[in-house]
Amino acid sequence: MLTCDKYHMPTSIPEALAIWQDAAEGSRLVAGATDILPWAREGRAGDVNLPAMIDLSRVAELQGYKVANGRVHLGANVVYQDFLTDETLRQHLPCMPFCSIWFADDQIRAQATLVGNLVNASPAADGTPPMLALNAELEIVRLDGKALKRRTIALSDFVKGPGKTDLQPDEIVTAVICDSLPGYGGSFQKVGQRRSLVISSACAVACIKMAEDDETVEDIRLALGGVGPVPVRLDDIEMLLRGKRITADLITQASAMPAGRVASRTRQEYRRTVVKGFIEAAILDALIECGVPLPNAAEVENAHV
Amino acid sequence: MSEFELEMTVNGKPIHRRAKPHQRLLDFIRDDLNLTGTKEGCGAGECGTCSVFVDGKLIKSCLMPVAKAQGVQIETIEGLAPHGSDLTTVQKAFHKTGASQCGYCIPGMVMAATSALRENPDAGIEEIKERLGGNICRCTGYTKIFEAVEIARDVIAGKLSSTVLDADGAGKSYIGNNVRRLDAPSKVAGKLRYAGDMVMPGMLHMQVLRSPHAHALVKSINTSAAEALPGVACVVTAADVPGEDGFGVFVHDQPVMADDRVRYVGEAVAAVAADDVLTAKRALELIELEYEEIPAVFDVEEAMKKGAPVIHDYAAGNLVKHIPIRKGDIEKGFAEADLIVEQAYDTQPVEHAYLEPEAGIAFVDHDDVVTVISPSQNITHHRHMLAKIINKPINKVRFIMSPVGGGFGGKEDMIYQGILALATMKAGQPVRLVFTREESIISTAKRHPAQIKYKMGIKNDGRITAVSFEMISDGGAYGLSTEGVMRKAAILSCGPYDIPNVQIDTYGVYTNNTPSGAFRTFGAMQSQFATESHMDICAEKLGLDPFEFRRINMMRDGAVTHTMQTLGSVSIGRVLDAAEKASRWEKGPVGVRGSERKDVGGDDTRPPCTLGARFRKEEKNGRQEVA
Repeated sequence: MLTCDKYHMPTSIPEALAIWQDAAEGSRLVAGATDILPWAREGRAGDVNLPAMIDLSRVAELQGYKVANGRVHLGANVVYQDFLTDETLRQHLPCMPFCSIWFADDQIRAQATLVGNLVNASPAADGTPPMLALNAELEIVRLDGKALKRRTIALSDFVKGPGKTDLQPDEIVTAVICDSLPGYGGSFQKVGQRRSLVISSACAVACIKMAEDDETVEDIRLALGGVGPVPVRLDDIEMLLRGKRITADLITQASAMPAGRVASRTRQEYRRTVVKGFIEAAILDALIECGVPLPNAAEVENAHV
Repeated sequence: MSEFELEMTVNGKPIHRRAKPHQRLLDFIRDDLNLTGTKEGCGAGECGTCSVFVDGKLIKSCLMPVAKAQGVQIETIEGLAPHGSDLTTVQKAFHKTGASQCGYCIPGMVMAATSALRENPDAGIEEIKERLGGNICRCTGYTKIFEAVEIARDVIAGKLSSTVLDADGAGKSYIGNNVRRLDAPSKVAGKLRYAGDMVMPGMLHMQVLRSPHAHALVKSINTSAAEALPGVACVVTAADVPGEDGFGVFVHDQPVMADDRVRYVGEAVAAVAADDVLTAKRALELIELEYEEIPAVFDVEEAMKKGAPVIHDYAAGNLVKHIPIRKGDIEKGFAEADLIVEQAYDTQPVEHAYLEPEAGIAFVDHDDVVTVISPSQNITHHRHMLAKIINKPINKVRFIMSPVGGGFGGKEDMIYQGILALATMKAGQPVRLVFTREESIISTAKRHPAQIKYKMGIKNDGRITAVSFEMISDGGAYGLSTEGVMRKAAILSCGPYDIPNVQIDTYGVYTNNTPSGAFRTFGAMQSQFATESHMDICAEKLGLDPFEFRRINMMRDGAVTHTMQTLGSVSIGRVLDAAEKASRWEKGPVGVRGSERKDVGGDDTRPPCTLGARFRKEEKNGRQEVA
């Protein structure tokens, strides 16, 4: 059971930072609060009493998003459901509806924020692989005297390990800024123990842009989650595929590559098998979203033999 | 803790109250506003029994700190069809299709269905399934719920007449006709009160201290610091039992709370009744308990060995019950066989996972009648057992069965009603206990895990000459329903097959695992799993079609069972015919089929699991062939 002595709901960044700076040790920032409440239960953290909870969901500066200069600036209060319901976000972040639909359920997505998911830094976080694929950076703010001091850091540098990030004690993440990829086809693969409300055993994301000939890969982004302490971008596979004509053989070759990345503490063999199929499925699903014909299905099948 | 002012609108009414910082929206709705149609099934966002609308968006109120609800509009199940008004179309459709069974998930399910159709009035079945994906039902298998949502969608859109929601005529017989449940309107409207929804003036809240050890002696319990905590009314332990302690369905081997020793992790050792749950929780931390761990046993074969830790003094060999059945001459039967097939089968424990966690409320009435209200599946037996435990005549003990939010056998055991009775007798005030989901899983009975050794003798023509069946079941720390489960497993062990020579032994064994108890089928599932698996294996070895092998051996009218009962009419032949047809079985022994299976992929089989029906693009060519 989660209890707290004080529950703050600041409405501006300076107010939030001032409370955060003065908060007793052990206080927590919350946004959607969908992760912290189940955490404080028997079998996980048990009964927890926090000195203070500082709820950022009403901080005006953290609301909404902007698209500019090929990048999308997502305020820290953007929730997962927005990636499904907002036309502009769907167009600019074509992999995110697929990631979002596999994340929890409609009700939790209405509360849970992408930034909260990134900051919690679970190895199985669904939001991290897509954001790695989109070259995301985090915007972070702290108080320097009375002035606001801001910095940005690449997501790949921010996530240090399971539950570990570069976030300093007095800092708040205000936004995640990522590539805008209109015209790309996106996809997301996930395995877990049920369809809704499941934490990934492993997940993968793909974003593909096809050239005008509908056969050549103009650009591709791939990343994996749940296979090691931190989610990983698959640069080597991207290099292999970028600029090439997409064929069944090429997809098979690419699918065989990420098995070596599996570094989880448990079920390594299972995850190696899964990620092989994942890359293939992620590419094929993204090609469907690109609206191009798939490489001959029988060829892909034969290439496995 | 600093309280704060909270203003919001709930079901159209302005609310202005003080709230505590740790309260969840769910707590505020249920405890402060007494709107108990919103349920708590898990407290972790998994089940959806607590779904409510916040500013028009459906959320899980167990995952929302109440402070977040400052200034918002809340709509609960009670707000969909306010008192005195007609049920909504969605609610009527749930009533019509029989979508509410135990009813505990139903308010949340109705809210999710309402949300799905508000978000997309034209949603197809795949989208409906996805949008209901955050809500769990344990009774229906969802089919009737999905059917209700589709009917509601079409009625709302004007594609179906609202008369489809009316009751079908029962005609001359209820059998074969679709009859609406009498209790469904109260369930779809969230009006039905389960035990955890009930409140009484002056009611105390109970929390239970549970053993962290699988097997330990309780050397001392000191409750004085807990009793001294302001707000605590009483602490109860086994020492408070005035009568003869012990309950169970067949053998009364389980004390209300552990007395001199604990036998499984999660066993109740003491309980506190206090003004509120938080105070009761704090008091638990003040109870001083001294344990001395002793060797424990977790494996049935280990438990049956000489020298194994003895779990109950009355049962030196850790045996709860052995049920032997003999028919014919087993040695002769095996001697006649052309082929003998042996195989071992294991099954695992299973949790009932009803959506309503255990809950109860107890009070002593004006005539000193100790009254316990709970979703007990066996109140008459509980009443008799409790009378003995609290040393009162039967007319001074009353059990009231509250609506059961799912039982499946898991609520047959008097696992907490005795603790409540002791506390209300000691405190002189009503006491309520509501289990958390974790508590429900850790402390209540499971389906018996079984280890089965099967040996079957068969003639080359497919006739079974003999079966020897040995099942060792893990009964866990207490007897509960183990004896009955062993009897039924033995009775049903050889399935509906006419076997002349039979040797059956089922054993229920004590271990330090979570107790096993009643669970729908009551032992038949384990034995049928083994029997039917074995039938398939034997059919394959004989090169026979598995249906054919069963038909050769099935009981026919007038057959004598292995418990020597003569059967009048036997339906297994018709069952096999129907199953063969429905499964589009291709005749022949296993392994003779071509590369393509004709029995999968039809209209009545389940398509692969996908998500994204609301936005996914159609594939351009045969993606599913890739596999």
